[in-house]
Amino acid sequence: MRGLRSVVLGLCGLLLAGCAAPAPQAVNDPYEPFNREALKRNAKIDKYIVIPAVEAYFSLVPEDGRRGVHNFLGNLALPTIFVNDMLQGEVSRAGKSMWRLTVNSTMGLGGFLDPASKMGIPGHREDFGQTLAVWGVGEGPYLILPLLGPGNPRDVAGLAVDAVIDPTNQIRFKQHIWWSAGREFFTLLDLKGQTYQTVQGIQRSSVDYYSSLRSLYRQMRNEQIRNGRKSGEDLPDF
Amino acid sequence: MQLSMPLMRRALFAFAILAAAPLLTVSPAAAAQNVAEAFVDDNIHKGLDILKDKKLNTVQRRDQFETLLLGLVDVRRIALFTLGQYRRTAPPEDVEAFVGAFKNYATAAYQSYFAKYTNKNLKVIGSTQRNPTDFIVQTQLVDPGSSQQPAEVDFRVRTDAGKPVLVDVAYQGIWLSLEERDQFVAFLGQNNGNVRTLISHLSELAVNLGKPTQ
Repeated sequence: MRGLRSVVLGLCGLLLAGCAAPAPQAVNDPYEPFNREALKRNAKIDKYIVIPAVEAYFSLVPEDGRRGVHNFLGNLALPTIFVNDMLQGEVSRAGKSMWRLTVNSTMGLGGFLDPASKMGIPGHREDFGQTLAVWGVGEGPYLILPLLGPGNPRDVAGLAVDAVIDPTNQIRFKQHIWWSAGREFFTLLDLKGQTYQTVQGIQRSSVDYYSSLRSLYRQMRNEQIRNGRKSGEDLPDF
Repeated sequence: MQLSMPLMRRALFAFAILAAAPLLTVSPAAAAQNVAEAFVDDNIHKGLDILKDKKLNTVQRRDQFETLLLGLVDVRRIALFTLGQYRRTAPPEDVEAFVGAFKNYATAAYQSYFAKYTNKNLKVIGSTQRNPTDFIVQTQLVDPGSSQQPAEVDFRVRTDAGKPVLVDVAYQGIWLSLEERDQFVAFLGQNNGNVRTLISHLSELAVNLGKPTQ
């Protein structure tokens, strides 16, 4: 209960911080100097810790094994995705999430395999940051988060609420801390493993990597919030 | 009043023509939409064919891709867009020099971008019309060797120059020209709006992008 209260208080604090931030600029990035420093720190952590860990993971675990880990982590996220689907009123997508969870947890051997995709029930991502956006909460100023990279107060609040929603965090057992740490470690490894080549490509072709990343992140989040529905109206004229 | 047989036949014939007219004619908007879709379907396949042609050496591939690209893409329009508000304040000779540097950068960047997708199949699935001369053609990039969902790639096509031209491309909802504009404007903001600095940076990048990755 105390944990839940601190999460809720933290959430309120973050949302208020977002509202109390200086008036939005064209890029809504009032903390840019701090963010640029944070990006440099993240790049160092990536260079000396994360990328070597990803390379070791790629050399030790074959592709099928890595895909199994990816599927398993995705399956663990499905209850949270289901709740967020429902909170957004996306009943059809919620049904698909529930079907994926049922099929992959049983026929997919606890989620390591993904027979649901082959049966025409593809996966999708949903989180409480997106739910807040659907409810009309503004994103707040742009932030670079330690280890995680681009974000904003709305998404940080979303992460905190998703941790509360996640049923595996409600089941207390003796080695819970090791389970949580292991899950976070592999989630980060999986994410970095899937994206680090793309990130290197962006670094290689960018005039200013920081602002490139900011633009890509915002466009990507807007696309996720729209659930892929096309919205050509908001594009600028050439 | 009764109609005579020939008159009745003529009336029926006229009615049939009128009823069938919407089926026989295509509205100008729909025709333009079809033109945009066909433009993407034909030319993107041509581009991918060049990039996957193993008979070409690096220089031949780059030259053929550049020729095709410059015929399809309105590079000048994109270049001016990516300068944002600095287009109005920069000296005209700097803007012209920027358009030239952007052309080289865009060719190298597009080649490196599309080279990743040469083993995939591109399928046009439809299009939307923003205004009478502005279309978004939706395609799916299917990896034949994978069970993953196809990636969504959209092409923005303008037809106001008399022929269709490509002005932007989006991968999974992320538009390339918007991202370029955001970073160029940020870069210029940090460099007192000096377009010459951006030009030298772009020229270096074009050379680096042309080199093979390590």
